[in-house]
Order: sequence, then structure tokens, then C-alpha cells
Amino acid sequence: MANRGMPLVMAGTGKLLTVTGITAGWGLQRRLADMGLTPGVQIRVMSGQRAGPVLIDLRDSRLGLGRGVAQKILVKEVGDG
Amino acid sequence: MAKKEIVIALAGNPNSGKTTVFNNLTGAKQHVGNWPGVTVEKKEGSCSFRGYSIKVVDLPGVYSLTAYSPDEVVARNFIIDEKPDVVVDIVDASNLERNLYLAVQIMEMGAPLIIALNMMDAAESRRYKIDVKTISQEMGVPVIPMVANRNKGTDELMEEIVRVAGKETEASGVRIEYGREVENEISRLEQAISEGPLASRYSPKWLAVKLLEGDEEVIKKFEEAKSG
Amino acid sequence: MASVDVLKVREESIAHLKSIYGDEAETVIADARYGFISGLLKDALKKPPIERVSLSDGIDKFVINRWLGIPLFLALMYGVFQFVFSLSAPFMDWIDQFFGWIGGYAAGISPEWLGSLLADGIIGGLGSVLIFIPPIFLLFIAIAILEDCGYMARAAFVMDRLMHKVGLHGRSFIPMILGFGCNIPGIMACRTIENPRDRLTTILINPFMSCGARLPIFVLLAGAFFTANQGLVVFSMYIIGIIVAIIMALIFRKSILKGPSGHFVMELPPYRMPTITGVLVHMWERGRLFLRKAGTIIFGAVVVIWFLSSMPWGVEYASAESWIGHIGGFIAPIFAPAGFGQWQAGVSLIFGFLAKEVVVGTMGAIFAVEEGILGGAIASQLGWTPLVAFAFMVFCLLYMPCVAAIGAIRGETKSWKWAGFAALYTTVVAWIVATLIFQVGSLFV
Repeated sequence: MANRGMPLVMAGTGKLLTVTGITAGWGLQRRLADMGLTPGVQIRVMSGQRAGPVLIDLRDSRLGLGRGVAQKILVKEVGDG
Repeated sequence: MAKKEIVIALAGNPNSGKTTVFNNLTGAKQHVGNWPGVTVEKKEGSCSFRGYSIKVVDLPGVYSLTAYSPDEVVARNFIIDEKPDVVVDIVDASNLERNLYLAVQIMEMGAPLIIALNMMDAAESRRYKIDVKTISQEMGVPVIPMVANRNKGTDELMEEIVRVAGKETEASGVRIEYGREVENEISRLEQAISEGPLASRYSPKWLAVKLLEGDEEVIKKFEEAKSG
Repeated sequence: MASVDVLKVREESIAHLKSIYGDEAETVIADARYGFISGLLKDALKKPPIERVSLSDGIDKFVINRWLGIPLFLALMYGVFQFVFSLSAPFMDWIDQFFGWIGGYAAGISPEWLGSLLADGIIGGLGSVLIFIPPIFLLFIAIAILEDCGYMARAAFVMDRLMHKVGLHGRSFIPMILGFGCNIPGIMACRTIENPRDRLTTILINPFMSCGARLPIFVLLAGAFFTANQGLVVFSMYIIGIIVAIIMALIFRKSILKGPSGHFVMELPPYRMPTITGVLVHMWERGRLFLRKAGTIIFGAVVVIWFLSSMPWGVEYASAESWIGHIGGFIAPIFAPAGFGQWQAGVSLIFGFLAKEVVVGTMGAIFAVEEGILGGAIASQLGWTPLVAFAFMVFCLLYMPCVAAIGAIRGETKSWKWAGFAALYTTVVAWIVATLIFQVGSLFV
């Protein structure tokens, strides 16, 4: 059973992560893809709080994601099997 | 001697300095109106250069040209329907990856594209080394480095605009290969589309890609053609 | 008939690709595009081996910090506020003196009706509005600076959590800040909100953001009735507007605009030093609309008001027997429970529908004095207490958006129904809150 990764909200700050999946409707998926968030891309959490939005470093830019959105993005730490 | 008239459109991500380029090109000669049917501000200005009278249309800042928001629809429709002589995509050089996503889509529409590589100073301060020539070669379009908020590169951009507008050849830019399976489906769809009424107005290949992307506006066009 | 095939072929294609890639076709296509770009950048872009933490990121550590974010925002807002007012005070004095001077000169012009039109109507009315050009333009400059430097996106990010509690999200916050300059750009900025319920809610609460046009009212009355604490009182108007907006947002999202809310996805661009030209261009874009309003709507309104105050012929100017007195007297009783049931107040509020500045313009034209002593004139002639003045200010803050704003609402919602609803519900809320303030306040003061 492949490990699909953890929700972004649970990832720690500063580590390099790979996006493994996006469990969202097509509207949000496309919106995220337009901003550069596609499965396989590497991101880094700049500021994750225990509540509230998450700021990530993505393809050279900073993207703010609401908590609901961050819960739908699955990631794995780079270096994890 | 009558001035030759050309129409150019400025496209680009929000925060890419598009407004600054627009101001540099048009100076005080601009006016804000309304796009018909949609409440998006239409910014138009004009300037002249080398005997050309240039109308500059500032498209809304968008991240992509799939019809997700009214802004994108307006930008997209202007390029396809009005067919401006040149589309200048203002790209933030310190943020190339995401900015080029839009450029690639504009290329796909077959619009005559010039990439204005703006904010070169920001890229430099991050110690990025950008090979402008390689970008231009691999994308098949002219690339003009600029620092718009110091009005650097404006003249070079105008030169290029006038040069591209004067060319007789149609589209520019390379075509992206989507992988064999997708290309097969694109060809299938292209075939089906070519037999229909929409093929005369729009490039069948572009329509095919848009359909696979699930673009609502394009799907709607086909539904209307079906029932009409 | 070929089109029928196309959509069917499309479905088949998508199903086929899904079976192969396990993903929607559009994801595959997006991936291919980014793949192309990555390949291109491998050749064309060299980044330094270690990216130093950029200044932008360093600043953000504080600005969007969980604990510092909101206090910093409030401090910034207060700072802007102080900036606008202290800087504009000397200019406002000069303009006031200027109008006082030419007002005195104009009053002596014959024929008498012309002198009255010029001095009482135009200078008294228009002058009391034009004096606010300095603070309004400075406000637009401040907003332009906040936008151009990139802070706005941070404000939206920081406020996202709070916005969620009322059923909105961070993106709704930016139109609210813009609304502090002028509601019209604020309402139009709601375009960037994709979710229709979020967008409509944000549009409907935008009028509670105290726009620049309401400043004349607050400054005038706070200066006359709360001289020692005027800054605080004016600031409190902004706060009250925000609180009412938040409460109404909650009510809307739980009743007529119920439903799932949108997603917050927003780029935070690197901080940038705003350029002087950039800021001035932005300021002028919005400021010139204010001037145009002054030259047309407000000018027209004060002339009409002057006329109504001077008729019937020979009547004492702006007395209760003039036409305007009769109009005002007719609706004044509605406002009695809120403490300002005088015809002058009623009439000012009616004309405020055209443009909020006209409330002060009307008062200026009716009392026919220049701004400097207008406050005193209101105090003595209407017999208001500070409590009444406060209730009146709150009413002006909350009631019906001006004509132009209603037009913008209609434009953005494409519906007269919502524009009309906005006009109506804001006025009802204004009446309730003002009356509450007066009635409850009267028990203590």
C-alpha cells in the first residue's frame, strides 16, 4: 500500500516536500495548477501555524493557502521512500 | 504619409509590473472604460513609434488562460477574437517558472508573442543568471529584458513590437509535446473538430487541447454549436 | 452534426487518458507544460547554490507572524490614519481661510441673489467639501503605497483566519481595505473572489467601510463636539464600521447567503519599493473621480439646495419656512428617536444619497457659513449634544451607499435587486444602531 503522504497542514516548517496528491474538486485543482502546484512539484513550508493559512515556497514564489486548501494537499518529505 | 496602425495587448501575471510597462508605453495618453458585457476595466492607451500609431490594450492580470474567472475569459477572448498584432507577455524574471506558464499558453493560441522579461534587477539581486538568448531560442519568440520601473528596455520593446507587427508570417513559438497518448487524443479531437463549424474561426488544435483541459467556455461553444 | 461527435469524442479521450495516467487530462497537460518550462530553465537559468533568505522573507517572519500579524496591521492602520490627518491639517487650514476670504467677498456681490448663490450656496456648500481634498488624496496615496509595496497580500493572509470565522476568507479583506478610500474600487475589487456567495457578501458589507467621502462629516462633527478627543472619535467610526460589517457578514453567511465558502489561494509577491510615479498614478486614478464628483454631482447638489433654501421668494434663507425646510420637516420625525429629528439633519441625509460629502455640503449651504465655524453653527442652532452628534455620525457611517456605489453594486452583481437590497438594509441597520446609541446613551449621559 503506497504511502500517499500526509496533509500539508501536518508538515513541519522549512523541510523540502514533494506534493504527492491533491484531493480536491477540479475547480480547486485547476486553480492550484495554474499557480504551479501540481503533483510532483517540490515545495517548502515557510510559515505553518497551528491554525490559519499556510505560506509555502513554490517554484520561486510565495503562495498563501487557506487551511481548508492545505488539508487537501498531500505531501511527503523529500528523502522519504 | 498616413501612420500605420497596430494593436498590441499586454498580458502577464498580477504583480509582474504590467501596469508599469503600460504606463511607460502610453504615458498620460490612456483611458479606462468597460469591457462590453463584463465589468472588467478596459485600459487602453496609445503611443507612436517609428511611424506607427500603436494602440495598447492592457489585459487583466491573470495566471492562466483557462476560463476559470471573468478576468481570464476577458484576456483570452481578446486575444482570440480581436487578434491583436502583437501580444506582449510581461514575465517576472525573478519568478520565471510560474510566469512562463502563461507564455506557453499564449504561444499555443498562435498569437504573435513577445516576452518582456521584466524585473531583471530583482533577478540580479537574487544572483540569478538568466540566458536570455537560450530562452528566446527554445521558445521560438523574441525576449526583451527590462526593468520597467526604471523605464529600462522600453525602447527595445517598442522596436521589437514594431518589427514583429510588420512581419508577414503568422504565428511564432514552439509547440509543446504532451506525450504520445495525449497527442493521439489531440489528433482524434482535431479531426472531429475540423469537420465542424468552429474550425473556421479557431485553430482546431487549440480547441482540442482546451477540450481536454475541460475549459468551460470552449465546451459551451461546442454545446451551442450542437444545439444551434 | 459533427459537433455532437466532438463532445462525445472528448469524453472518450478523457476516460482513456485517465485509465492510462490515473489523472485528469488537464493535470497531464499542466504537467507537460511545467515539464517543458523546467527543461527550458535547466538550460537558461542558473540560481546561486544557496539562496540567502531574502529580505522579503525576513520581513514576513514578523508581518505574518501568528501573534504579531494582527497587532502590526492595526498599528499600521492607525499610523496611516495619523499620517493622513497630521499632514493634511495645515493644508486644510489654508483652504478654509481661502474660502472664508472669497466667501466674504462674494457675499457683497450684487444682485443679492447672485451674491447669496455664490457665498451661501456654492462657497458654503462646495467649499465645505473641497477642504477635504488634502486628507482624501493623502488617504489614496497611503492605500496606493500599501498596494504597491505588496503589504495588501500580507494583510489578506493575516486576516484569513478571522475571515473564516465569519464565513469568508482572506481575499475578502482587500476590498474592505480599499473601501476605506472609496467604496467603488472596493466593490470592484471583489471580482477576484471566485465563490459567488463570498463575493456577494463582501460586496454587500463593503459600504460599511467608512469611505473618504464620510470624512468631512466625522471631522466636522468630531471637531465641534469632541474637540479634545476628535482623533479618537473619528477612528472609532472606522472601528464601528468594521464591527458592523463583520456582524452582517456572519448574518448573511448564516441566512440568505448560506453555503460552502471559497478557497483561499493567494500569491504573496516579494516586497517592492513603491515608485513615486506609481503611487501618484494610483492616487490620481481614484482621486480624480473624487474631483469629478465634486465638480459635478456635489456642485449640482449644492446649487439645488441653495435654490430650495431660497424659495419661496423672499423667505429667510434656509429657514424652516423655505422649501427645503418643508421637505426636511416632513421626514424629520423619523429621526427623532435617534436624537436628530431636525429638518436640517433630515434634508442633509437625503441629499447625502447623491454623494456622502453632500451631507456636509448641505449643512454648509443651509447654515451658510464656512467650514471653520460650521460645527459651531450646528451645535448652537440645532442644540445637539455630543451624544446626538455621535448618533448622527454613526447613521451617516452606516446608511445607504451613495449613488455611485449603488451603481457599482449593480454593475458587479448585474442585478438591481441586490443594489436595491444594499441601499435598503444599510439604511435600516443605520437607523437601528443610531437609535440604540441615542436611547441607551441617554440613560447615562
